[in-house]
Amino acid sequence: MAVHRGKGLATVEYPTGMNQNGDPSQAWIKVKPDGRVDVFSGTADIGNGSKTVQSQIVAETIGVPYDWVTYDNSNTDSSPMCTGTFASRATFVAGNAVLKAARQVRERILAVASRELEIDPADLEVADGSVSVKGTPAKSMGVDEVAGAATFVHGELLTGDGAHLNPGAAIIDPTTGEVDKPPHAAISYAACTAEVEVDDETGDVRVLSLTQAYDIGRAMNPTLVEGQIDGGAVMGLGFGLLEDCYPYYPTAEHRGDGMNTYHVPTMAELPEIKNVLMENPSSGGPYGAKGIGEMSNNAQPAAIANAIHDAVGVWVTEFPITPERVLAALDAKSEGRSEPRREGRVVAFDEELSINSFTSAKTWGA
Amino acid sequence: MKVVGARLPRYDGVGHVTGRTTYVDDVRVPGMLHAAALRSVHHNARITRLDTGAAAAMAGVHAVVTHADVPLLVYGHLSGAGIPGDEPLLAKDHVRYRGQPIALVAADTVDIARAACAAIEVDYEELPALFDVRLGFDGDAPVINDTFGNWYDQYEGNLDVRQIRKGDIDAAMDAADLIVSGVYRTQSVEQVPLETQVCVAIPEPDGRLTIHTCTQAMYFSLGVVCSHLQLPMSQVKMVGGTVGGGFGGKVDTASDTLTALAAQKSGQPVKWRWTREEEMLASGNRGPWHMEIIDAVTSDGWILGRKMLTIHDAGAYGRFSVYGLTKHSFHHTGAYSIPNLHFDGYVVFTNKIPTTAMRGYGVTGLSTAIEVHAERVAKELGMDPYEFRLKNANRVNDTSPNRIAYEDPSTVEVLQSLAAATGVELGDGLRAMTREQRSGDMLPDHLVAQIGSGGGH
Repeated sequence: MAVHRGKGLATVEYPTGMNQNGDPSQAWIKVKPDGRVDVFSGTADIGNGSKTVQSQIVAETIGVPYDWVTYDNSNTDSSPMCTGTFASRATFVAGNAVLKAARQVRERILAVASRELEIDPADLEVADGSVSVKGTPAKSMGVDEVAGAATFVHGELLTGDGAHLNPGAAIIDPTTGEVDKPPHAAISYAACTAEVEVDDETGDVRVLSLTQAYDIGRAMNPTLVEGQIDGGAVMGLGFGLLEDCYPYYPTAEHRGDGMNTYHVPTMAELPEIKNVLMENPSSGGPYGAKGIGEMSNNAQPAAIANAIHDAVGVWVTEFPITPERVLAALDAKSEGRSEPRREGRVVAFDEELSINSFTSAKTWGA
Repeated sequence: MKVVGARLPRYDGVGHVTGRTTYVDDVRVPGMLHAAALRSVHHNARITRLDTGAAAAMAGVHAVVTHADVPLLVYGHLSGAGIPGDEPLLAKDHVRYRGQPIALVAADTVDIARAACAAIEVDYEELPALFDVRLGFDGDAPVINDTFGNWYDQYEGNLDVRQIRKGDIDAAMDAADLIVSGVYRTQSVEQVPLETQVCVAIPEPDGRLTIHTCTQAMYFSLGVVCSHLQLPMSQVKMVGGTVGGGFGGKVDTASDTLTALAAQKSGQPVKWRWTREEEMLASGNRGPWHMEIIDAVTSDGWILGRKMLTIHDAGAYGRFSVYGLTKHSFHHTGAYSIPNLHFDGYVVFTNKIPTTAMRGYGVTGLSTAIEVHAERVAKELGMDPYEFRLKNANRVNDTSPNRIAYEDPSTVEVLQSLAAATGVELGDGLRAMTREQRSGDMLPDHLVAQIGSGGGH
């Protein structure tokens, strides 16, 4: 009886935005008389940080400090339509909506500043809350002064609105699945290595480390990206090893009804996590962003399963990989029952799990 | 750039970690009632009698909502995409999963509401239940879904299967040196948000409804509520945007519509907060996937073709499952270029909680299957796992299963970065690989036909 170490690899890709697109987001922005910026968006923040990231996009695009921006997504009376926070779409799709609204605000600020400074708007730029003449930074006025002039001198409201919609992709041939245009806003990529220890007496698997490389397009806020990736890694660990709504399947009895009977990962299971962020900007996302919120729990389960094989030479393909399943696979191996069927060119694993072993109502095979 | 790319603190971080953020459960309104649900105790049963008289007459009970109170009982989550609705907001003639709501009671306290639920008289005629998707196709399987039967049958072209066909799978199988098959089964898991499903609905003096919602999608939920209640969007104000964890489980609009109905019927504000037990046992969770992969490969490590059967366990009703399966089918080659494909996917119903979105929807189980299978194939070939993956990695202008050219795939680069980060020495040939369009040794005959013309993503 011994503890064995192993390493496993997995590579994944994942789309940004709703599959087949057609998922609009809208936003509008107004500027207060002191230049402070109010963003109205319908995007719920589910902990993914969309309030923060959308505020960053607005501050960057208009050219004002981050702390000048307030963000209101509190209700459907004042905020315009957003399809929602899912499908890894909030940064890309809703982010594009606030980006477009912010560009309009910037144009309005330049137009008013142009009249105040008597300089062509094309010769002006906005940065750090100040409008200045390109090449002559000494000649400038604050965005707060511009907003004050707009309000009290010119009788104008500085606003902007924006909407983003990747047009819906239709399946033009349902027999082949061919689509008429790209069915995603972007695609993100990642790879993960898991390092595990497997106890061949108890079947217990401990994940020692997860090392992950993510192409995220653009890290809008690296701290938030790392939070997503770390959280996703732990969720992937739970999916790979621990969690199951129907632990006594095929019966639906004895389900976990609380935190003490349904095992999500805790600090006790937390492995060392190392991340590499790569920036391969997307062509359509705000500042090159892609969505990575969801894909961040997709690579770990397979990497862990492959590491278990590396450690003890068994494949477990029913998830989660519980100690019971590891022990059953080790028993099968020691009894010579774990090898796939090999016949000529054919290598057939897991035939006992195949639908062919359960019914003749669906014919399936090579 | 100064703001984009900066490590700025979360906009709402201090409130979250100090407990000062106002979540839906923190909303207190004068005169607010509390709701509790009566749920099915059976996996599959006919409802032969439903009598709420005694419950409604109890002191402190202000409204008992049943199917008869819902203006539009059945509204599909994907109605907007042309997929028919199948799930009643409250059970009427049948219950198809344990935990399915039958009635909602609004009362002065939660305890009274629960006691009233217990006083509702329901007679069931229990029916056989089905849990294993592999048995759903059998002729003698119990019928579960009243709209679709045992599997969804209304894809485009009146197909009962989501298909992908590309290239010539038979030729690929004929040409293969090795044909490797495997079966992968991923499970149902719960999203486990710290904030359970919760809603506060307030009837306003002007006749509107204010709904404090935990939804991940305020406008989607606005549409769902207004459809069931048959109201224009002007009559409902959704208040939300701050969610105590969702992970996909709060797109279903699980509590808003029923709470709104209870508020309408009682004329008072109503809060309905699900218990942790309800969240775990009755809220939509990640659905199981049954996946069978057969890969045709050459002895030097090319994947010539893939045949795949996927059966997605929807639970008792459709919700987003057809969307999830379609997305799954579009990505069933993973991060690789496989020119010859034959994919059949089914959404099969079982007497379990209707499954729904969760982080990685449609793809998490798929990535798991593809990557364990890739490892097995590499091992069968005696090939290094990096080499096998890098060789088959998708490249610029390779086409996806549905024939869209990849614009900027970075499978090669993420693998190279990971190798560097973990001290894995790649050979010169693998280190020199790029995402750029295939040519030379990386463009064997079998991949020539599927090079696209660019312009996609």
